[in-house]
Amino acid sequence: MTAFLRALGTEWLKLRRTLALWMIVVAPLIVVLLQFFIGYDRMKVPENIQAWPMFVQSSCALWAIFMMPLYITLETALLNNIEHSAKSWKQLFALPIPRASLVAAKMLTSFLMIGLSTVVLCIAIVIFGKLLSFLRPQFLMEGIPVELIATKAFLPFVASWLIIAIHSWISARWQGFALSLGVGIGAVFFAVFASGARAGAFYPWLFPLNSLGDERSFIALTVGSIGGILFAAFATWDVTRRDVL
Amino acid sequence: MSTAIATLGLTRRFGSIAAVNGIDLNVPENSVYGFLGPNGAGKTTTIRMLLGLLRPTQGEIHLFDLSLKENRAAILSKTGSLVETPSLYSHLTGFENLEVLQRLMNIDKSHIARVLSVVRLEQDALRPVKQYSLGMKQRLGLAAALLGEPRLLILDEPTNGLDPAGILEMRKLLQTMPEEHGITVFLSSHLLSEVEQMATHIGILNAGSMIFQGPLKELQSRRHEHLYLETDNPHAAMSLLAGREWLCNPDGSSGLKVEIRNREETADINKLMVQNNIRVFQLSLIQSSLEDIFLTLTNSDGEKSS
Repeated sequence: MTAFLRALGTEWLKLRRTLALWMIVVAPLIVVLLQFFIGYDRMKVPENIQAWPMFVQSSCALWAIFMMPLYITLETALLNNIEHSAKSWKQLFALPIPRASLVAAKMLTSFLMIGLSTVVLCIAIVIFGKLLSFLRPQFLMEGIPVELIATKAFLPFVASWLIIAIHSWISARWQGFALSLGVGIGAVFFAVFASGARAGAFYPWLFPLNSLGDERSFIALTVGSIGGILFAAFATWDVTRRDVL
Repeated sequence: MSTAIATLGLTRRFGSIAAVNGIDLNVPENSVYGFLGPNGAGKTTTIRMLLGLLRPTQGEIHLFDLSLKENRAAILSKTGSLVETPSLYSHLTGFENLEVLQRLMNIDKSHIARVLSVVRLEQDALRPVKQYSLGMKQRLGLAAALLGEPRLLILDEPTNGLDPAGILEMRKLLQTMPEEHGITVFLSSHLLSEVEQMATHIGILNAGSMIFQGPLKELQSRRHEHLYLETDNPHAAMSLLAGREWLCNPDGSSGLKVEIRNREETADINKLMVQNNIRVFQLSLIQSSLEDIFLTLTNSDGEKSS
């Protein structure tokens, strides 16, 4: 366990001065900024419409369907390519600590980074929501709907664990960005078409979006989270047992 | 003398090809062991198995008289490695690179300064590694290998890609390891001339099999050296040498290649030429390359079996 915690600490040390670290802030910020400008651009709103729920939901939906899956793809690929490009698995796996602790630490770091981005998403929604209410007083945006923001931001995160685990596995096992990005972009593209189909309820890349809805949210949250933990365990085992060539 | 590395019938197959085929390594403690072989002989595969990175298809590995299979952590805590190119994070500084390993190994932070001074990188420790020269990277890789105060260093082609000054520096560093730090050094190379200058023991691998293993002196005694002799009358010189049972072949228009058994014979040949009024323009020792040694070793094996 201590080896695992030490490995987790070094993951953050290795992130210094990397694009991956910046992406934690940049990815959610892009989504909220986009929604902010859309809102700012819209001069008229139907009367007596509460704008907070609209702003929160549209930000979180755009995040869940599009930005988060792509961001997970990029983030896991960047994180694992720190090792691939340094050719450091051979050094790390020859250290007198359990290999699994290194692999599991890397995987948990991916989860934590997406979690941190979710926190950033919440903060950005609050800041830009307040800014919007100040610039467009005709929108009814009073107070801060903390509970709504937290729910709508964190449900997609929990539902995304399975795709985080899948992408962590792909990018740990195969070096380079080609396969990770290919799978990630292809899967998001497919999700756009699958969202209307009945089978879309079981499509992992739709779990984050589905978690925001009513009827499909149970499957998305249970399969997404439990499946994610199980797949992460499989991925750790698989990457650990492999020969290092 | 106790052994740092001992393998028994170590084999690794990739599909039907045996990259390493039943080798019995025997590396005495406090030696500098040169593991020689041409590219593709199986050196890196062997090294990866010694570090537990690759699983052997067959055979046993003992380091410090402990089985690697059963005592992985205990063995690896006494072993430092540098396999092919050093594993360095180029966006981090030299210091940060070592800090990653120091934290993982859970050792005191003071070790970082210690190994930086061994490889003389204190001045550049706070610069990002992407600004380092190849030689500096190699030295940082060695520093990483030394960080856990190992008793055994396993180095795969540590001078690969270095310039002559870098090679010299690396050689000096490695030579001091057994005496000054009590560290056994196991290093691979495809250059005999390089290993010869620092190794006490040699193992030669060819196509996955060991064709020689023993002290450097034994190898030197088994190999035939050649002289290059340039005279004004190669024909006369040749018949003179043949009369005294020296084997020689024409080499160029006025040169001869003479096989000698020891260095003293150089003086004898020179004397012979002068006494017979043959003018000697050049008399030099031809350094035998790894290829020559292979030929000698494989030929002598052939003679034995025939």
